[in-house]
Amino acid sequence: MSLLQIHDPAAAPRPIGIDLGTTNSIVAYVPPSGGPVAIRDCDGEALVPSVVQYRAQGTPVVGTTAQRTAVEAPADTIVSVKRFMGRGAADPETRRLGPYRFATSEGPVVKFAVAGERVVTPIEVSAEILRELKERAEDELGPVGGAVITVPAYFDDAQRQATKDAARLAGITVLRLLNEPTAAALAYGLASKRNGRFLVYDLGGGTFDVTLLELEDGVFHVRATGGDSQLGGDDMDRALAAELLAALPGEEPARVRWALDAARQIKHALTEAAAVETELEFAGVRVPYRIERTAFDAMIRPLLERTGRAVRRVLADAEARATDLDGVILVGGSTRVPAVRAYVQQITGLSPLEGIDPDLVVALGAAVQADVLAGEGERPDVLLLDVLPLSLGIETMGGVVERILGRNTAIPTEAAQVFTTYADQQTGFEIHVVQGERELAKDCRSLARFTLRGIPPMAAGLARLEVRFRVDADGLLSVSARERTTGIEQTVEVRPTYGLSDEEIEGMLLSAYEQGEGDIQARLVAERRVEGARVRMATEKALGEDGDLLSSDERRAIDDALAQLSASLAGEDPRLMQARTDALETVTHAFAGRRMDRAMQRALAGQAVDSVAAVTQNARGIERAHEPLAETKA
Amino acid sequence: MSDPFATLGLPVRFGLARSEIEARWKELSKALHPDRHMQASPAERRQALGRAVTVNEAYRAIRDELGRAEAVLALRGGRTRRDADPALLMEVMELRETLAEKRASGDQAGVRRLSDRVEAQASAVRVALAMALDGEPPALDIAAAELARLRYLQRFLDEVRATEDEA
Repeated sequence: MSLLQIHDPAAAPRPIGIDLGTTNSIVAYVPPSGGPVAIRDCDGEALVPSVVQYRAQGTPVVGTTAQRTAVEAPADTIVSVKRFMGRGAADPETRRLGPYRFATSEGPVVKFAVAGERVVTPIEVSAEILRELKERAEDELGPVGGAVITVPAYFDDAQRQATKDAARLAGITVLRLLNEPTAAALAYGLASKRNGRFLVYDLGGGTFDVTLLELEDGVFHVRATGGDSQLGGDDMDRALAAELLAALPGEEPARVRWALDAARQIKHALTEAAAVETELEFAGVRVPYRIERTAFDAMIRPLLERTGRAVRRVLADAEARATDLDGVILVGGSTRVPAVRAYVQQITGLSPLEGIDPDLVVALGAAVQADVLAGEGERPDVLLLDVLPLSLGIETMGGVVERILGRNTAIPTEAAQVFTTYADQQTGFEIHVVQGERELAKDCRSLARFTLRGIPPMAAGLARLEVRFRVDADGLLSVSARERTTGIEQTVEVRPTYGLSDEEIEGMLLSAYEQGEGDIQARLVAERRVEGARVRMATEKALGEDGDLLSSDERRAIDDALAQLSASLAGEDPRLMQARTDALETVTHAFAGRRMDRAMQRALAGQAVDSVAAVTQNARGIERAHEPLAETKA
Repeated sequence: MSDPFATLGLPVRFGLARSEIEARWKELSKALHPDRHMQASPAERRQALGRAVTVNEAYRAIRDELGRAEAVLALRGGRTRRDADPALLMEVMELRETLAEKRASGDQAGVRRLSDRVEAQASAVRVALAMALDGEPPALDIAAAELARLRYLQRFLDEVRATEDEA
């Protein structure tokens, strides 16, 4: 990581969007003018295969190189790590997938044993992919700011938390986790339509996802989501490969691999051509081969019908019919196959939106949102309000789930529920946090278990235990519990245990530095300075807007704190920078509250805050450009 | 939790249109959502987050009619009835038995007639509830009884719907 030496530290870090995919990953950004663009390598390739190869020595290899050499070291090359995110070691899905060596058969996190006698979690593997993407972005853009990272709409809390942990490990600030279908809709600029129902049909290499998105007055809701985690373009290759193997019979692994590669090439050729004529060659044997597109279409028809069933199920879940749809978006490279497009058109009665590369559309949408959140200058008025994808609750007596926050609850939010003890003299209380819609805890996803201890002994039913759930804007949960009868308060703050604790992450970061990846002190100074400058700028902006809310004494205190902060930022002492930043925080606390009150009053007065901002701007003689959002053809 | 109606800048009324509540929630969310304060100082981000949470809680509390009735009742100084009226329990039990019989005999049309009838009863209860809660002065005891009734009828209808989905 040499960015500190190379790049101009004054350059504003640029926000990026990342599609962390099962098969491929992509990073994109929005340039100062124009729509979003994907970052490409020197060969013009935007797709980074989501493959990480660990070797006996040195740092792991990510992407095309790792993919090419996967067959030489199958157990050390982690493919499709996304399938393992947030899964426990004993999860049946974990056991089923891939040629890997697992370091443990229990615990909340999968652990791979890889070359170099290392044990890595899916979080660490994903962090390698993210690190590669970040470096690509830095090579092209200089310093990179925060990132919007996409996740499937059906990802539960464990999977979202794991994704965020991976980003932290890669040194990436997550601006927001964004649902993939929502990202695709943003790339097509659908947010500006305000209202509508959109079907997002995402057929990737090995997974199929379908989502019904509803846009209501500028708010996206995932109405229903479904799909098949074992269905994708690879199945088309397998179907065609079977025919190629009939022409050149044999079962040895090299032959099968040849057949799959040849099948993929023929599939790609059939996207353009109505027929392909070629010569098959393996182990010195040559056979002429010809296939019409119609024959290929018939071959993949059963696969398409499987996607059709999932589409109908999703429509039924959302209590919608195909005729209610206002648009269809295709995502994933496999939707380039003409038969796929035709099939989607046939079952929905709509011709899918066009113009954006289906491999890139999710990353481009993530870049659009990153730019809205952290970009400079005026941006279109887009606010995504998100909801919890699955209900959260805790297990009570008899294994029944008490729901604390229902699915589709607007986030951020919090809720508390009071429980009591069921046995006399009970001093401990086990709390089992689950996610899902089923009645019984064993049928839901287990997120965390912890015990609140030290409850004063008393008769059954007397203790009052308050369990509080907090969900942030990314849909991530934290749980706290306290006992509140006897005045003794116990608060246990718990982040679900499937992820990594802060200490574990710090530890991993430190060990990365020990491997000589950078100077921790220099990085600390740089980070604190950026943060301090950011707080200073935000405060000055707030003073400019709402300075009238302060008395002259209050104003003087803030001005003093600002001057002190500026002085510290000119120095080299990170602790002083932190202290002065905190001090400014303290003196602006009441001011921040009053500003929010004013914002709420404006909103309630029926006067949208945006129009207030627009009026202020016009008063200053600045005209706001109304550019359509992301009409890019990638 | 504080008065959810005040948080959303709405009058304390059962008879609010859901669209009206939603509109207030959206306006406030636009002002307070964390995404709108990414560039602000940490103090402001915390303040905005806290208020966004309060707004979402208020929205959740009064968006659905049962929650809204409960909130109005509490704010007007009434008490939610925890003990159910024996006559009401009897009535619901009979409804359940009728439903089970019709199911057992595969009488789909009968199930639908039953659920339509209960739906009509629920609508009448809603009107009575609105009059009791929003009247001047409010009739709190009547409101509490009607609310209990609506809750039972609603639960019955939810169950009918859930088993229909399974079928």
